[in-house]
Amino acid sequence: MSGLLVLASTAGAAPDLASSGRGVNSNLFVVIAASAIFYGTPLVLAGLGEMLTERSGILNLGLEGMMLMGAVAATWGSLNVGGPGWFALVAALVAAMVAGALVACVHAVLVIGFRVEQIVSGLAITILAGGAGLSSYLAGSWDLSRGPVPHRLGRFDVLGLGDLPVVGPLLFRQNLLTYASWLLVAALWWYLFRTRRGLHLRAVGESPATADAMGIPVERYRYGHTIAGGALAGLGGAFFPLAIIPLWSDGLTGGRGWIALALVIFGFWRPELILVGAYLFGASASLGLTLQARGVEVSPQLLASLPYLLTIVVLVAVSTGWARRRVGAPAALGTPYERESR
Amino acid sequence: MAPALAARGVTKRFPGGVVANEAVDLDVAPGEVHALLGENGAGKSTLSNVLTGLYRPDEGHVEIDGNPVAFRSPRDAIEAGIGMVHQHFRLVETFTVAENVALGRRGPLARRASAALVRDLGDRYGLPVDPSARIWQLSVGEQQRVEILKALSRDARVLILDEPTAVLTPHEAEALFAVLRRMTGEGRSVVFISHKLDEVRAVADRVTVLRDGRAEGTRLLADATSRELARLMVGRDVVLSADRMPRRRPPGDEVVLRVHGVEAAGDRGEPALRGIDLTVHAGEVLGICGVAGNGQRELAEVIAGGRHATAGTVEIAGTPMGRPDPRRAHRAGLGIIPEDRLHTGLAPSLPVEDNLALLAHRHPPLAAGPFVRRRRLRERARALIDEFDIRTPGPTTPTRLLSGGNVQKVLLARELSARPRVLLAASPTRGLDVGAIETVRDLIVSAADDGVGVLLLSEDLDEILSLADRVAVIYEGRILSELDRADADVEDLGLLMGGDLVAGRSAS
Amino acid sequence: MIRLEPRVERPRRLSVLVPLGSVVVALVLGGVIVALDGADPIAAYERILDRGFLADGALSATLIAATPLLFTGLAAAVAFRMNVFNIGGEGQFVMGAVGASAAGLAVGDGPLAVTVAAMLLAGAAAGAAWAAIAGALRAWANTNEIITTLMLNYLAANLAEYLIFGSKSYWRQLEGTGLMFPQGRPLVARAFWPRYDLGPVEVPLGFAIGVAVAVGLAVLLRTTRFGFQVRVIADEPRAARFAGIRTRRAVFVLLALSGAVAGLGGAADVGDTRHVLDPKALSQVGYGYAGIVVAALARLNPLAVVLTAVLMGGLANAGRSLQGPDFPSGLVGTLQGLILLCVLAGEAFARYRIRRVPRVAVDPEAADPVGAGA
Repeated sequence: MSGLLVLASTAGAAPDLASSGRGVNSNLFVVIAASAIFYGTPLVLAGLGEMLTERSGILNLGLEGMMLMGAVAATWGSLNVGGPGWFALVAALVAAMVAGALVACVHAVLVIGFRVEQIVSGLAITILAGGAGLSSYLAGSWDLSRGPVPHRLGRFDVLGLGDLPVVGPLLFRQNLLTYASWLLVAALWWYLFRTRRGLHLRAVGESPATADAMGIPVERYRYGHTIAGGALAGLGGAFFPLAIIPLWSDGLTGGRGWIALALVIFGFWRPELILVGAYLFGASASLGLTLQARGVEVSPQLLASLPYLLTIVVLVAVSTGWARRRVGAPAALGTPYERESR
Repeated sequence: MAPALAARGVTKRFPGGVVANEAVDLDVAPGEVHALLGENGAGKSTLSNVLTGLYRPDEGHVEIDGNPVAFRSPRDAIEAGIGMVHQHFRLVETFTVAENVALGRRGPLARRASAALVRDLGDRYGLPVDPSARIWQLSVGEQQRVEILKALSRDARVLILDEPTAVLTPHEAEALFAVLRRMTGEGRSVVFISHKLDEVRAVADRVTVLRDGRAEGTRLLADATSRELARLMVGRDVVLSADRMPRRRPPGDEVVLRVHGVEAAGDRGEPALRGIDLTVHAGEVLGICGVAGNGQRELAEVIAGGRHATAGTVEIAGTPMGRPDPRRAHRAGLGIIPEDRLHTGLAPSLPVEDNLALLAHRHPPLAAGPFVRRRRLRERARALIDEFDIRTPGPTTPTRLLSGGNVQKVLLARELSARPRVLLAASPTRGLDVGAIETVRDLIVSAADDGVGVLLLSEDLDEILSLADRVAVIYEGRILSELDRADADVEDLGLLMGGDLVAGRSAS
Repeated sequence: MIRLEPRVERPRRLSVLVPLGSVVVALVLGGVIVALDGADPIAAYERILDRGFLADGALSATLIAATPLLFTGLAAAVAFRMNVFNIGGEGQFVMGAVGASAAGLAVGDGPLAVTVAAMLLAGAAAGAAWAAIAGALRAWANTNEIITTLMLNYLAANLAEYLIFGSKSYWRQLEGTGLMFPQGRPLVARAFWPRYDLGPVEVPLGFAIGVAVAVGLAVLLRTTRFGFQVRVIADEPRAARFAGIRTRRAVFVLLALSGAVAGLGGAADVGDTRHVLDPKALSQVGYGYAGIVVAALARLNPLAVVLTAVLMGGLANAGRSLQGPDFPSGLVGTLQGLILLCVLAGEAFARYRIRRVPRVAVDPEAADPVGAGA
């Protein structure tokens, strides 16, 4: 049983870039794929959260801030919550979700309740919670950089299959949040395209006037999905102190929130494509280093630029009239809905 | 027996002092088609929004089967059995028909069942539609069918239709009336909102007339004359046939607008203009009548340079227009009074003086190099306000605060002061009160007398007949029959507007 | 129950009272946070005020901190006015720094006036060109500028990093320690931009230029044909189009102009402060995003941007100089965010009116009998 349930550990879950595993599992592709999945996981979580928010028609530029608040909360949880390791870890994850949700609440109230400009509100939140803001303040006042985080996400070895060629390290040796993100992709796909609530959500994002006329509570959906988006962003933020860099530093998330924003577009607001995009971005983050470690000379800046260039290309393609009707953004994204006074 | 649906003393006010409905009473019996008749702005849409839970009445209440109800949201109304088909459809364009029908209901989503329901209801009531088609792929008539199916799928006992035939061909309108009769045969009721007297006659059992927010009376259609209904609608005796307005000068020979073989696609890619030919001479008014949705909007946009024509040519005062370019059109001598005053014609939040200067700000005397001379701009605005008698608290008032008639005067002032050779006026008096209508018509006629060629697009036959020198009918993207006013017969024109080509034959 | 109803007209006094009131609310909230932490809010504020504005040399340091915010704030303000959401101030700033440092390295040996002019020109051109990419995509490919400008930020950061860390480019210091540790080539000392003594305050040239640009933009928006068109397009693009205004071109020009202003900021940063292309530092400071906050606080008015830039600069300056074990880090960012959020919320209050509406009680006894009033 020992290999089965390594939920929390002190060893961490990061893949080893220089070499990992035996034989074929240490070849370049597998290593890159493994690190893509690893570094892409927070992007998947935050991206899925933003997808929910945008599907309801709300643009949330405060993603980075919410991730940071999630990271702070998770760090606090892991450092301070007593009891068995797994309990502290779960507490940290819950704290992260609550933190993200609370911040999203502020954004939701401002843009839905007060019809504040969505872009400005989101940016203000990122600055408020950002690397020079509340997250840093709280980290300071809770003394979160006093030491490495004790309870971190460990790697499972599911059913002992971790050593299978190729699929072993990729599918069977991942951590809790990565598996959770996969479940979430499937669950959200089902939610969006096979349930009534999901249909209603899509209607709210495409045409709030229609949804309202059909008796769908537009505001409630927007509040709900914005807050849920924040919770997921917080969860994504938690991945950083709990899996990537176990010691708190200001601005820990390093701008990943902005990437998650681009990801949603790249993924055409669909969960399965967001997954693919997240891993592409995740790969490019470590690709440069991995290649260099293997002696391959490619400009790391060029590699790092590729996902952003690709996103622009995708965005241009999605913006043509032909595409907009078939795969484009929710039609009402970014515009506040104001039913004429009743 | 208690009425299926009733309004008791319903009053609804809006910020700014507008009273859209005042103490309105209405009762709709089960199994009847009850028409709500009134001009634009009479309060019909507001009342229907109250009846369907979108608005809450400030005074009075709604009754269902004799029991007072207070809707807190549209959902309550839908569950009480009130369905509505709006003028602007409440459909999600990117969804399929089945998905739209499934919206708003409870319980797990059953996609196959929804599709089956659509097919089933479609067969039962004569509303065939493909459940898996996406809304943007459907024609307007088919989309309306989806709206009705939506209401029927919720077992609506009262169906309210807001100006349903505005976007239908006469054939489709007949089909719609048949559907309505099938529904009332089952004991359901229909509220038919319209401003067209003859349609109301064709389909309704009783009619309630609204004017200026008040219910002026309810009549059995079998007993009421058109004259009586028209009087209730307008408040005074209305001359039902129009005499031509007097003109100072006959039209000239010079052609100021020539449209030849123009074809264009609509917003959905469907063919909107199928080869339009027309000419307008200096000092002449060419009136084009037609039911909305037959290509008028697209024609206006092509001439104004806002829409691409896939074939054909447009010449303004002899200058051929190439790619769509509103600036070139203006420079060649075109003036436009668009149908959508407050959004295509003007910037609503800007002050009146800015909107008056929208065309002229680029040239001297209002411009000096890259700068705009604000003092000159204001002086000019004041002069135009005087000349056109625009009622506004001042030149700096935001334009959207003006009444409809004065908004139209701002547009006319702006376009006419640029001394156009051609004036394109689309539904210029729609929604205006009687005094404003007269003023606008006077301005158009005096422009023609000054040598401007006027292309008048209107739904209102009376307006066309009172202003035009020559008359034509637009139907499904083509011009049917172009003839002199003297040869035009109201009934023939009406038939042509409905696509009856037999009449056209005899007229030309 | 309470209903929010849009106001029809806006009383003048609200336009001043509301932003002021919001700032006060924000300061109170910030004070609460500090107090909850056990520290003394009044003391903290006093120290911020002191280090930001009142102490010797504080105002001068604040002006230096405010200068980049002034430019990115102006860039955001001018674009947002037409609902063109330029989030790319960050990247345009960096490209401006790239361009200006190249110019400074090239002609730095010559007369100062030439150097300054060359750096300004290069910075503006680089920023404009960078923004023009997004501008062209928005104007002619209908592509949303929020994401394109955002992506361009990353591309600019990568480009700058490449110039110093990924290649042996013109910008790189290739002798001395530069052979071992990648760093930028600094400008020669005579190319450093001057500072002007204005009584107790030292005004950097960049700031002065920024104020001039602010005035220029205010004039542009209020008195030129372009400014007129911006106003029309901002209100109703369709009407603008049909009146013959070339809306696409206007969007493109506006974005390019916005980029040019941000690029000037990059030039000023190199000339006034850093004197070298420093990609790492630039990626830390987030001037572009802070500029949007500055612009929003100033309600998009170019002249007001000068004030809010100084305010934010003062906060940033105070935060930096107070950093240490006995001053909470992150307080400055928190305050900045709070101020903006409160101003936004306050702004929303000003737009609406609160009305109490009694619940509609339906009394069956009071209903009219059928037929009355028909």
